[in-house]
Amino acid sequence: MYKLLLCWRYLKTRYLAMACIVSVMLGVATLIVVNSVMSGFSTKLRERLRAMQSDVSIESFGMEGFADPHGKMEKIRQDPFLGPRVEAMTATMEVFAMLQYSWPNGERVSRPVKLVGVNADERAETGGFSEFLVLHKDNPSFALPENLRKRFLADEERFLKQLAPVEPPKLLPPDELPSPAPPQVEIKIPEGIILGNLIASIRRKTSEDHPDKKREEVYFLNPGDTVVLFTVSGAKMKPVDARFVVVDYFKSEMSEYDSNFVFVPLPYLQHLRTMGDRVTSIHVKLKDYRTDARQVVDALEHLFPGEMLRVQTWEQKQGPLLAAIDIEKGILNVLLFLIIAVAGFGILAIFSMIVAEKTRDIGVLKALGASNGGVMKIFLGYGLLLGIVGASFGTILGVLISDNINAVEKFLSNITGGDIFNRDLYYFDKIPTNLEISMLVSVNLGAIGIAVVFSILPALRAALLHPVRALRYE
Amino acid sequence: MMEANPLVCAVNLHKTYRRNADRVEVLRGLDLEVHEGEFISVLGASGSGKSTLLHLLGTLDRPDEGAIQFKGRRIDNLPSQERDRLRNQTFGFIFQFYHLLPELNTVENTLLPQMIAHGAWSWWWNRGEIRKRALELLDRVGLSHRLKHRPRELSGGEMQRAAIARALVNRPRVLLADEPTGNLDSANGQHIIRLLRELNRQEGLTIVMVTHNLDLVADTDRVVRLVEGRIEADPNAAAAFDTAMASK
Ligand SMILES: Nc1ncnc2c1ncn2[C@@H]1O[C@H](COP(=O)(O)OP(=O)(O)OP(=O)(O)O)[C@@H](O)[C@H]1O
Ligand SMILES: [Mg+2]
Repeated sequence: MYKLLLCWRYLKTRYLAMACIVSVMLGVATLIVVNSVMSGFSTKLRERLRAMQSDVSIESFGMEGFADPHGKMEKIRQDPFLGPRVEAMTATMEVFAMLQYSWPNGERVSRPVKLVGVNADERAETGGFSEFLVLHKDNPSFALPENLRKRFLADEERFLKQLAPVEPPKLLPPDELPSPAPPQVEIKIPEGIILGNLIASIRRKTSEDHPDKKREEVYFLNPGDTVVLFTVSGAKMKPVDARFVVVDYFKSEMSEYDSNFVFVPLPYLQHLRTMGDRVTSIHVKLKDYRTDARQVVDALEHLFPGEMLRVQTWEQKQGPLLAAIDIEKGILNVLLFLIIAVAGFGILAIFSMIVAEKTRDIGVLKALGASNGGVMKIFLGYGLLLGIVGASFGTILGVLISDNINAVEKFLSNITGGDIFNRDLYYFDKIPTNLEISMLVSVNLGAIGIAVVFSILPALRAALLHPVRALRYE
Repeated sequence: MMEANPLVCAVNLHKTYRRNADRVEVLRGLDLEVHEGEFISVLGASGSGKSTLLHLLGTLDRPDEGAIQFKGRRIDNLPSQERDRLRNQTFGFIFQFYHLLPELNTVENTLLPQMIAHGAWSWWWNRGEIRKRALELLDRVGLSHRLKHRPRELSGGEMQRAAIARALVNRPRVLLADEPTGNLDSANGQHIIRLLRELNRQEGLTIVMVTHNLDLVADTDRVVRLVEGRIEADPNAAAAFDTAMASK
């Protein structure tokens, strides 16, 4: 009983204890903020990595792809194990290509891109597509909207007129055959193309003194503009090219995707590459990814024996990167726990001082019949209490900072005059945070544990003090 | 007053403090019998080993040689748990410098031995009764008007009275007082001695008080002298001590 009372009183009256509490508090707050930002970044990154990836993909090794995707998909649907677990499937063709377009000033530019042939609505069902479209999220399609279509036709006509040969001077007498009517050029509207957002735009600071310092996207390829794609045909590897008209942008916020991918209609790409019905991959969306993914991959591998196909979950596909994130997080946490260990040494030092200061009281307690264990428990309890109080305040502080990290960052940026979080670099407009309960719990337990562990030594010293020596202590 | 069986009995106590090669032989074969209900004072010069003797009697320390008995049972070699219990239940200590805990107020300081005796659970069940006992004692020592004060807000005499209440709260059989008036002016000192005397008379409390102040011992049942690590059982101890002091 006296242990509780004394712990409490020591906590309330010891000025030094505040130092312990503050050091634990700062450690815990730092750990929480860093963890939540790290976890925010990694969840965001995971989300973005995930972005375009369907749950499971079946891919060919080469650009030639594999035949009969519909038969394969039908076979999957018929399979007693796979059928009920699959929600949607779609076939796509992925191939490299060169994209050529002109700058507003007329200069022509070419750049390599990853060309994906998809069936827009089918692809939308397998996830990670339509939600990233900028203009037509609800109705993914390659069709050119009516107004653009009219504009496009008008432009084309004007262009053709310019091209039309000047009427030759009428040298021949009028009785000659009338000049043939100018050939009726049928204006063909090219297929639509969806461009990665970063292919069609650049990000720019609106202005230096803008309060939000927001980056703005400036598009130089607009819907209705035409671009040219060069790629190779399927079997003979002959170069082929075609004109496309921009209908939409793809913006997953994952810059690697947004600056590389372009989408065109699958049948047209198959036709362009003279590939018949061949595709390079089938994307599968599962009803329950978490529980089924592994088994589905196994089953799919067995379903098509003898064919050179690679079946992977999206995590396997992104394996190395995801593993790198996890490792980074783990190492950082170990390093950060050293912060709390530093706080622990603070506790050790301060506790030793308190024990020295309390030596005579310890002697008195023993003279009044307190056992060694009892005295030890006072100081262990004290450490526990400091840990709990420090960790609670630290948690509150950490959560507050994490929740308002952007305001904090802005404030610090204003004070220091520099950008702490460079939005150009990270492509985020806000610092992402993610507070996980499990992280809060483990940080708190860790901090309290360290507080207790580091108070063991001073507590032991107090417990083993000789009562007479303690009483005589001045 | 002399009964056959002493309540506390020290036989041939030896205690030597060692600091590296330095040896301070404090007690050299001390014998002492304290009878139930007796108020005995031990006189001794400073450094003669009075505190050492009390610590040994109160099982705070162990003698190098010899034995201490309580009611005929040897207590100096008991395991530490039982000695903790003895200090809590059987012996009460008061000190020259009061040794109240500065974080606790008067009542809490008084209750400390009770808190040590009880776990949190039994404390909670018996708290009313325990508190009543503490308040009675504080009333008895004349401190009922200073219940919520911290030690530093009390005078020396008040602190010593609080310490006496604390020593008595567990109804000990023996009160060991180490120069209880050493830090007080004579009026307050006399007050404390009177209080101890009353407790001794009315409650039959056995008291062993050590002091070097001759003025205080007049009112006690028996005076013994601690000289050169032994008790001099001189009936004229007081006078002899007086001359010894004078000749220094
Ligand atoms: N831990 C120790 N190590 C060495 N010597 C010690 C130790 N404790 C006490 N002494 C010595 O033992 C002797 C007796 O000490 P003690 O405190 O018992 O004397 P005392 O009679 O109570 O003195 P006072 O009247 O000043 O309180 C002293 O000379 C002291 O220096
Ligand atoms: Mg002394």
